Amino acid sequence: MASKEELIQELSDAIISCKKDAVLAAVEKAKGVMEPAEIIEKGLAAGMNQVGVLFERGKLFLPHVMMAADAMTAGVKILEADMPAGAQKKTMGVIVNGTVEGDVHDIGKSIVSTMLQSAGFEVHDIGRDVPIKNFVEKAKEVNANMIGLSALMTTTLPGQKGVIELLKEEGMRERVKVMVGGAPATQAWADKIGADCYAENASEAVAKAKELLLGK
Amino acid sequence: MATEYALRMGDGKRIFLTKEKILSEIEAGTAHAADLGEISALDGNELEKLAEILMMPGKAVSVEHGMEVPVTHDIGTIRLDGDQGNSGVGIPSSRLVGCMVHERAFGADTMELGHIDYSYKPVKPVVSNECQAMEVCQQNMIIPLFYGAMPNMGLYYTPDGPFENPGDLMKAFKIQEAWDAMEHAAEHLTRDTVWIMQKLFASGADGVNFDTTAAAGDADFYGTLHAIEALRKEFPNMYIEAGMAGEMVLGMHGNLQYDGVTLAGLWPHQQAPLIAKAGANVFGPVVNTNTSKTSAWNLARSVTFIKEAVKVSTLPCHVDMGMGVGGIPMLETPPVDAVTRASKAMVEIARVDGI
Repeated sequence: MASKEELIQELSDAIISCKKDAVLAAVEKAKGVMEPAEIIEKGLAAGMNQVGVLFERGKLFLPHVMMAADAMTAGVKILEADMPAGAQKKTMGVIVNGTVEGDVHDIGKSIVSTMLQSAGFEVHDIGRDVPIKNFVEKAKEVNANMIGLSALMTTTLPGQKGVIELLKEEGMRERVKVMVGGAPATQAWADKIGADCYAENASEAVAKAKELLLGK
Repeated sequence: MATEYALRMGDGKRIFLTKEKILSEIEAGTAHAADLGEISALDGNELEKLAEILMMPGKAVSVEHGMEVPVTHDIGTIRLDGDQGNSGVGIPSSRLVGCMVHERAFGADTMELGHIDYSYKPVKPVVSNECQAMEVCQQNMIIPLFYGAMPNMGLYYTPDGPFENPGDLMKAFKIQEAWDAMEHAAEHLTRDTVWIMQKLFASGADGVNFDTTAAAGDADFYGTLHAIEALRKEFPNMYIEAGMAGEMVLGMHGNLQYDGVTLAGLWPHQQAPLIAKAGANVFGPVVNTNTSKTSAWNLARSVTFIKEAVKVSTLPCHVDMGMGVGGIPMLETPPVDAVTRASKAMVEIARVDGI
């Protein structure tokens, strides 16, 4: 019988292979030995994190990321029956993610959305070139815990600040965390505009979101 | 207390570092490029030389005598007459005046004419205007004047174009449909670019510049390589420059190949042979600046990638140097200390043929 470490490795490798069949087989194999939450977090999510790293290194491409995310969703679905009542619907947090107004860059933001979703967050990707007020309205609508703001141009970067200011005006800043990212953004910029965190890439975005929303 | 030297962060912020810290940043930057690109890191002499360039006392530095290289200018004249929304300085001037200023005042060795939208697709409905502008400029100028724009394949996707956005299709796990959209868009990109350049070449253009190739990923690169190939076939003497959008070709499609090579995930030294194979005359490699890292780290990383591209390229390499690329900070008006140091390092260490 495979050890827990071997099963975790198998789950992770199956996700990296981006093959749904392999993921489902690995989940079935691990089911009797590990708790569903452990299978998801230590096996599937860890594999997904590795997929993100390989994408950033040019070893895996966008269709692979999507296939891996699809396979992970399928794996999580078959584990839901074994989860304690109420745990199935429980998400790690609700995140509204988008690219700020005037900026049509989409790819990086979409990868971040996919990775956050795969990590267990409920993600509402509201697209690119999004007006400031739309972020706040969507956050109200879905009762978001966090807003993710992407900008790929120095000229659109101030839009991130605009969202934070509107959150303050609406009295929502205390309960909605703000993450910023995109090529011109930095930790110094995040500090300057009062964002809660800055993430350099998709893997870091997942880690920072977990840190902020779950204290992990 | 150890002497500290004025450097920059990748976002342009002024920092002060000791020689030891500069060297450690350079070593980390070159190691990062070597790891990603699976290429050689800079050697000891090159590390020392780079540190020396970064620590030079003058605000602006230059290459040694005899090492001067040709310089050209992309983005047309938008840098002059555009506003800060598109990286310009807002000086009211016609495109003819802009081109002539580059030739006669800035000392550009070549120049390009470009439209304010600066993408090939929007040029289609105004191509007659562009042809007329090209003719007028050619009648007033001596240096080679290209026509230039971005392939910008994103304009062929909704809401700007006829094909559904593959990013949206991917999110809905419609991968085959996303692949189809990208392949159709690439065909249109090739067709439009060739059609536009047929007109511009007939109007006296000395060449064409593909600026920010592969901005929309591997399919954008695929469409551009086929456009270069078609133009070379039709115009054997046309001067073709292909500059990249970023250091690595993003794998939006993942399966597209050119000359038997998968385009997704290629680094500058892997892009160069394909650009040559397609029939271009000059390759413009790019390395992105990380805004959270120091200029020492960024420049070492950029020089490492570009040195390898120059080594393997059969074409002259005119490295892209500007805001956010080539080790230069991402700032609307890049600081002269960083720009000149990065340029000197590219010429004297990476041995680029032009900028």
